[in-house]
Amino acid sequence: MTSPSTVTKSMTMGEAGLTSGFAVSAFVCFLAVAMGHDSAFSFHAALGCAASLIAVVVIGNRYLDRPAALPPAEIDGRPNYYFGPIKFASAMAMFWGIAGFTVGLIIAMQLAWPALNFDLPWTTFGRLRPLHTSAVIFAFGGNVLIASSFYVVQKTCRTRLAGDLAPWFVVVGYNFFILIAGTGYLLGVTQSKEYAEPEWYADLWLTIVWVTYLIVFLMTLVKRKEPHIFVANWFYLAFIITIAVLHLGNNPALPVSFLGSKSYIAWGGVQDAMFQWWYGHNAVGFFLTAGFLAIMYYFIPKRAERPVYSYRLSIIHFWALIFLYIWAGPHHLHYTALPDWAQTLGMTFSIMLWMPSWGGMINGLMTLSGAWDKLRTDPVLRMMVVSVAFYGMSTFEGPMMSIKVVNSLSHYTDWTIGHVHSGALGWVGFVSFGALYCLVPWLWNRQLYSLKLVNWHFWISTIGIVLYISAMWVSGILQGLMWRAYTSLGFLEYSFIESVEAMHPFYIIRAAGGALFLIGALIMAVNLWMTVNAGQANETEGADILQPAE
Amino acid sequence: MKAIIQIESLAWSLLSTLWTPVFVGIFIAIVAYALWPCNKTLFDAAARMPLRED
Repeated sequence: MTSPSTVTKSMTMGEAGLTSGFAVSAFVCFLAVAMGHDSAFSFHAALGCAASLIAVVVIGNRYLDRPAALPPAEIDGRPNYYFGPIKFASAMAMFWGIAGFTVGLIIAMQLAWPALNFDLPWTTFGRLRPLHTSAVIFAFGGNVLIASSFYVVQKTCRTRLAGDLAPWFVVVGYNFFILIAGTGYLLGVTQSKEYAEPEWYADLWLTIVWVTYLIVFLMTLVKRKEPHIFVANWFYLAFIITIAVLHLGNNPALPVSFLGSKSYIAWGGVQDAMFQWWYGHNAVGFFLTAGFLAIMYYFIPKRAERPVYSYRLSIIHFWALIFLYIWAGPHHLHYTALPDWAQTLGMTFSIMLWMPSWGGMINGLMTLSGAWDKLRTDPVLRMMVVSVAFYGMSTFEGPMMSIKVVNSLSHYTDWTIGHVHSGALGWVGFVSFGALYCLVPWLWNRQLYSLKLVNWHFWISTIGIVLYISAMWVSGILQGLMWRAYTSLGFLEYSFIESVEAMHPFYIIRAAGGALFLIGALIMAVNLWMTVNAGQANETEGADILQPAE
Repeated sequence: MKAIIQIESLAWSLLSTLWTPVFVGIFIAIVAYALWPCNKTLFDAAARMPLRED
């Protein structure tokens, strides 16, 4: 037996492997910079080269600075939780949130005032729009999911996160993917598949990062001290596995050259469309729903200090979502070349999804049984509960819009945009904000700087969401009705441009709603910054001072 | 050879017909597990997992 003080210091397999891997990657990227067929590819290779070199230096320095023994799994019989990567992902979530909401506001204003496209290729709506969607869904939402999953899996398994460098590889690698994807959109690099725009090399990198994420999560589950796997971990695991499958299924592409950014997708015609929306809708189902339901099942009980209302319902909720969601994608392709039976199948499963969705909503809301009074005093809890209400609303609206006759009016109109944003701002946004308001004080062991600011954030953003979604409902239905209006002689009553003109006031209202949502997020960023840098140390975890009831 | 192809196509058509009842069966088994009275204690304890401090 060797005592810890006499352990000889040597590189772990991970340290040695990653250092040499990144050294090789720096060299390969350097060659790719010189030999790249297009400037965007060379630029991304240069970013890859720089990032690889930085990684070699950082891992090397980390090795030199660390003691011989790696951090213990337990200290005094208590798990020695691994918070570093979670802190990083939480900070990045806030950063990307602000960036993504800002770009969203810009493109909302571009629709109201097209001069804001500035006639520059990099700032046109077509390039900024995927930047917005990817920044809010994958960068903001993704970082919240990675951060919260790493936190919840450790706490509910009572064990330290698996791996030493692997969790860091996941969080930093994922954010590097975002950087490559986002800068690519601005430079015109896209495979033109909605929510799957990144080109082949970014997709390959994401695959490596995501598989590592899956392994870290699984290995943490394997070495758990709790015999039972808490339901939130099931939701996180479904999210991680399904996103891996969707990503691989939707992105098999053949690059024109291994030194260029352009590739062609393996699927053709309607099969490509079907794969795309099998991917697209399940990205909604497993990224924007299952992952954030995991947050709901851990953070709401924890914050409300009440047990999950019905654990049985949570199991049925989980499996019903798994069995039903995967079939709903074809509702994005109503009245297209997709076979009619497939469209009807998509519609039927979408309608069936309503039940488990509302089961989950009821479970989340009823977890407050016996603690409803906390909604008056705790704006963080209020934010999360309102998010669950928005979840209920958009999971009612979604199945309704999937019905073919409703879809014939709503499809291709702003109603879809309104529906997406009631889910994205109301459900995903608010539950993420709630999770971050909980996580940051827990991770840095501080008291939340100001609950009053949370209250301001809550109300300003809520008004913003209401403005946004109501403007889009009105404009969407107006659009749909104008497009299908016929005169008594059978001619179309309105030209397309007349419908565009009619949208103008609603686009201004939508931009105003988006601006309020952004202001709310800026207030949050200040609050979290002050919590970390000027907040009081917390004596007991989770004991934020509540506001007096008024 | 022909017999093998016939068996394969029979197995395939059987599979493509059977998966619906199989999946429904699995789902019913999961619901039964969730509602089984003996599991109540386990689930009541699990519902409190987020509240535990270490």
